[in-house]
Amino acid sequence: MSTAAVSHGGGIADHIHPEPQGFIRRYVFSIDHKIIGIQYLITGFVFLVLAGLLAEVIRTQLLHANGGFVSADTYNEVYSVHGSAMVWLVIIPLITGGFGNVIMPLQIGARDVAFPWLNMLSFWIFPVAGLMLFSSFLMGAPVAGWTEYPPMSLQAGAGTSMWAAAIFLVGVSSTLTGINFVVTMFQMRAPGMTFTRMPLFCWAQLATAPLLMIATTALAAALAALFMERQFGVPFYDPTKGGSPIMWQHMFWFYSHPAVYIMILPAFGMISEIIPTFARKPIFGYKMIAFSSMAIALAGFMVWAHHMFTSGLAPYLQLPFMILTFTIAIPTGVKIFSWVATLWGGKIHFTTSMMFAVGFLALFTLGGITGIFLAAVPFDLHVHGTYFVVAHFHYVLVGGSLMGIFAGMYFYFPKMSGRLMSEKIGKWHFWLFFIGFNGTFLPQHWLGMLGMPRRVPTYDPQFTFWNQFSSISSYVMTFAILLFFINILVSLRNGKKAGPNPWGARTLEWQIPSPPHYYNFKHIPTVYGLPYDFSQPLPYKGLEEELTDTPVAVGAH
Amino acid sequence: MAVATLPHSGAHEEVDQLYKETRDLRLQGFLLFLISDCVLFSSFIFAYFYMRNSGQGWPPPGIHRLDVAFAAVNSVILFGSGATMHYALENWKHGNFNRYAMFMIATIVLGLGFLGGQAYEYTNLIVKEHVTWAGSGIFGASFFTLTGMHGFHVSVGVIYLFILLLQSVHGVYTKEKYFGLTAGTLYWHFVDVIWVALFSIFYLV
Repeated sequence: MSTAAVSHGGGIADHIHPEPQGFIRRYVFSIDHKIIGIQYLITGFVFLVLAGLLAEVIRTQLLHANGGFVSADTYNEVYSVHGSAMVWLVIIPLITGGFGNVIMPLQIGARDVAFPWLNMLSFWIFPVAGLMLFSSFLMGAPVAGWTEYPPMSLQAGAGTSMWAAAIFLVGVSSTLTGINFVVTMFQMRAPGMTFTRMPLFCWAQLATAPLLMIATTALAAALAALFMERQFGVPFYDPTKGGSPIMWQHMFWFYSHPAVYIMILPAFGMISEIIPTFARKPIFGYKMIAFSSMAIALAGFMVWAHHMFTSGLAPYLQLPFMILTFTIAIPTGVKIFSWVATLWGGKIHFTTSMMFAVGFLALFTLGGITGIFLAAVPFDLHVHGTYFVVAHFHYVLVGGSLMGIFAGMYFYFPKMSGRLMSEKIGKWHFWLFFIGFNGTFLPQHWLGMLGMPRRVPTYDPQFTFWNQFSSISSYVMTFAILLFFINILVSLRNGKKAGPNPWGARTLEWQIPSPPHYYNFKHIPTVYGLPYDFSQPLPYKGLEEELTDTPVAVGAH
Repeated sequence: MAVATLPHSGAHEEVDQLYKETRDLRLQGFLLFLISDCVLFSSFIFAYFYMRNSGQGWPPPGIHRLDVAFAAVNSVILFGSGATMHYALENWKHGNFNRYAMFMIATIVLGLGFLGGQAYEYTNLIVKEHVTWAGSGIFGASFFTLTGMHGFHVSVGVIYLFILLLQSVHGVYTKEKYFGLTAGTLYWHFVDVIWVALFSIFYLV
């Protein structure tokens, strides 16, 4: 009855290795992709708390037109580290290293990633880099925002060099993860799992991994140059020595525009898993969703200069970058419409996870539309560097990526821990977060339209009302995130036992126990079709013994 | 195609096809690493052209053109080491250990020769022409950063090849399993290709 008859050629993890014993080897320096993924999640959430507190410093400062909570210099440091940490230490690690590691190998029917030891290295670079970034506060943290444009980043205190080194290290970690994931998905899919049968979360990771691998290295070059210029006086960006500050912007955005897709594509992937599961309907447009991820990843490399419309970009370059940026709306729209069409006529179960997924649809669409506004040169010239931009990217990064992460946590927590998260606290978490989020960032659109600049510790008194509204709403949002952490801790102890498949989902990871065994699958299953065809029999063979007590022989297939 | 069909005729052949090819995961991973390394060089090359085209003419006023003849000889040494590396791997595949070792040593010696040449060129520039990394504007910055990065890669390569040689002497690799040697060869060719680009952009155009 097993698929052991199928000869397994390639993968290192094709047969079952004995589980390492001892706390250190199992939970600290683990090579198990599930443990590493959970390590990423825990570390990322710790940094989310730290960077979130910095956000609250910003909002508290902006309660009053004259500020007064922190000094102007500290304010610069706070928003710079807040942005950097949220991008590189929270969203990217959570959504690639975290969920990618825990879920992707299970979904493709593999026993681990291609290079487990490299995976461990990738993880352990990340907390070290995070500590370096936060330690920059001790020596004068970076002050030029998360984008660190020269010449300001050249003139700031020693912390900026620390920042560059820390982000470089996170980049190394991302690059290694990207390499690992590409090889895993190319070489270690279960027999029969062709690319067009791969779950959409894996497709999203497959689109993201090359971005991690290629774009991140471009940023590494820019950071290395910044570091060399700051520490050794090698001229790259200083215009008085022949360098060019605009060059930094090109190199930075050549990474950082793809980076926004690194942050959102895996969230798209999770949404594509959650929506059909709770609508009890096959996903609409499987291939279109899969290919649109690829299209977004590819087009993401050709639009970076839309961040530079006010930087003296040649006018003949503005038009192509504007049009190319508009075209990204097409594959993104394909996804949004496919999700809506999946919901259409489905039997929708409003679990917390599904509520976050539907909330994601609404908020991400709003953030995406303001992105189209900003891509239009005439409009961008008007609002560049204002709170409109801040509102836009918080809608895509918080309303999009972070909502996706919450949806994914409620969805996959039972798989990771074996227990369900509390739906009651979860619903409170969702509604407070949704209301708090919109209260915080929606008014920032019109503050920006009226001309309130970002990154300034004080503002014109006419903006006081909406700033106070925004700040108070942000406290609600913070409280909601606190509820989320309480929910995790409470559910770890007292959550209902989940069983292998609490949601009735159909991808491979739900066909094995929760939490999965060290070796994931007793026998590598064979795949005969797409995982989204609800009402059809499961398209897998060879899973018969997964939920039984049959012992496995170490070294067996 | 997309409908869930349980075992139909032909499915097993498809499955077998998929799994019969034994592929080495490490090779693909290593190639991806080289691609991302290539992006690192490309970014600096982009920076070089960006700065070079920002006015002033090239080389900037007060700096002589680089010595093409010497660098050309040095390039030939490096390309020659690429050839010896190729023959080293070929001989390993055919089981000629002695010739393999000879070519491997030749590669290491040529690699060291290239590094020596580069050190000589650096010394000349710094001592005679007073062109330095940090003190000669964008010319020094781009030239020393890019060739320095390349030189660092060559140095790592020489050390790696030396380790590979020791490993193969100690029987780590067999005639069938020699991934380390493949990786070393690929890396060495990669370093060669990067040098083709650097030689062209600094000495020829």
